[in-house]
Amino acid sequence: MIRIGNASGFYGDRFSAVREMLTGGDLDVLTGDYLAELTMLILGRDRVKDASLGYARTFLRQLEENLADALARGVKIVSNAGGLNPEGLAEAIDRLGLGAKVAHVTGDDVRDRFPEALTANAYLGAWGIAECLNAGADVVVTGRVTDASLVVGPAAAHFGWGRRDWDALAGATVAGHVLECGAQATGGNYSFFTSIDVTRPGFPIAEVEADGSSVITKHDGTGGAVTVDTVTAQLLYEIGPPAYPGPDVVSHFDTIRLDPHDRGVRISGVRGSPPPDTLKVCLNTLGGFRNSTTFVLTGLDVAAKANLVRHQLEQAVGADGLTWTLARTDRADADTEETASALLHVTVKTADPKRAKAFSRAAVELALASYPGFHVTAPPGDGTPFGVYRAAYVPRTSVRHRAVLPGGKVVDV
Amino acid sequence: MSAPVRRVPLGTIAGARSGDKGGDANLGVWVRTDAQYEWLRAELTVERLKELLPEAGEVDRYELPNLRALNFVLHGLLGDGVASSTRFDPQAKALGEWLRSRHVDIPEALL
Repeated sequence: MIRIGNASGFYGDRFSAVREMLTGGDLDVLTGDYLAELTMLILGRDRVKDASLGYARTFLRQLEENLADALARGVKIVSNAGGLNPEGLAEAIDRLGLGAKVAHVTGDDVRDRFPEALTANAYLGAWGIAECLNAGADVVVTGRVTDASLVVGPAAAHFGWGRRDWDALAGATVAGHVLECGAQATGGNYSFFTSIDVTRPGFPIAEVEADGSSVITKHDGTGGAVTVDTVTAQLLYEIGPPAYPGPDVVSHFDTIRLDPHDRGVRISGVRGSPPPDTLKVCLNTLGGFRNSTTFVLTGLDVAAKANLVRHQLEQAVGADGLTWTLARTDRADADTEETASALLHVTVKTADPKRAKAFSRAAVELALASYPGFHVTAPPGDGTPFGVYRAAYVPRTSVRHRAVLPGGKVVDV
Repeated sequence: MSAPVRRVPLGTIAGARSGDKGGDANLGVWVRTDAQYEWLRAELTVERLKELLPEAGEVDRYELPNLRALNFVLHGLLGDGVASSTRFDPQAKALGEWLRSRHVDIPEALL
């Protein structure tokens, strides 16, 4: 059995989770997911400003605080915090000077095939991570690998799985899917939250067996709960058809069996089949600039008030690219001002940054010249660039998935 | 004679979790007994989901009897993805809780 924990479900998750997971009980491997579709866009903007960035900086600070402890305990660290720059992150970890054997995985960046994109990253699988661990790495950082690969890679390396061990790979993928969003497996964001104490849920752990089955659990004494219901909830997160495709295996979610276990939930029975011969690519392009504000409409004549301010703003900046929604949160004859008020949201999306800024000025200039009771929930800013996400697919053979081992040796995966 | 029903929120018996995949949203719904699942599977068709969530457009539905769950993919709900969407709740995080709050006729035996 290999005991694999998770300490992050996104870039911005609980900073102290790395320490909590290392000190809270036994682990073999600690993983962390830092990359969402939106995160790739944020990191892409970082990279435009400074080419040495593009990775999750909080992860480096977490290692600054905890890597010596992880090394002393013999806990391996595996994370996709490398984002758009795993090499830069690996170098930064080396510079911490703790003597850790650091490896990284590259090849996900396929911007050469999508020159118009700000970011273009193929979802790599687990085998690069497995190569790094087999070579004795203490820390493995990657760019865009699938979230579940952070669990599949360590399990595959530990048990010596082959690339056609479909059922084992699928079982570990399902365990990885449960872990990848951190506390969402242990009672966070859970429909029946009133039935457990979710004040501070612990982070999840998968105890993976040689056949790919697992027990989902958490450290003793941590908050939240691991039940068939909390695990079911997370299994349903961000999925499509029951045949869940990944770069290493198709995992059949309609074969998952969940059973209560002394320390959590046992996952078994998962069937796998060969993956498609294409890899999914996460593409972000700059779509333009956006800005928004929310007008508060209180009391009488809400519809007429909305019509007036809409007409005024459209006169000032043009109606093109404006989206309006009126939320009738108001009640008649209300006994608080807030419940007497409706909210009128407006967003502008435009190719012209000057127009996104002019939107703010136009909205503010209405302050003494519009409907009675005019105010906004927060003054609009200058506007921000926005990204457009799109998925694409490239042949697996066109992607050079490589493991850069401790010491610098490069291995094709 | 049909079994007695009560009009209550779907979330009285069903849990849900929702999220984003690019411009699509997914919405998983599950219940906790086999009898509840038989009812859910018959009740919550694509047409019924669209009645309960009128903002939905093209919808695919998948059955996961092993989890007593249905998974819906709501295509295009989020436009060009979270960074671009002007939708309230651009990541569809609360779509499931909205569905759970809708009132439906549930057989009393399942409550």
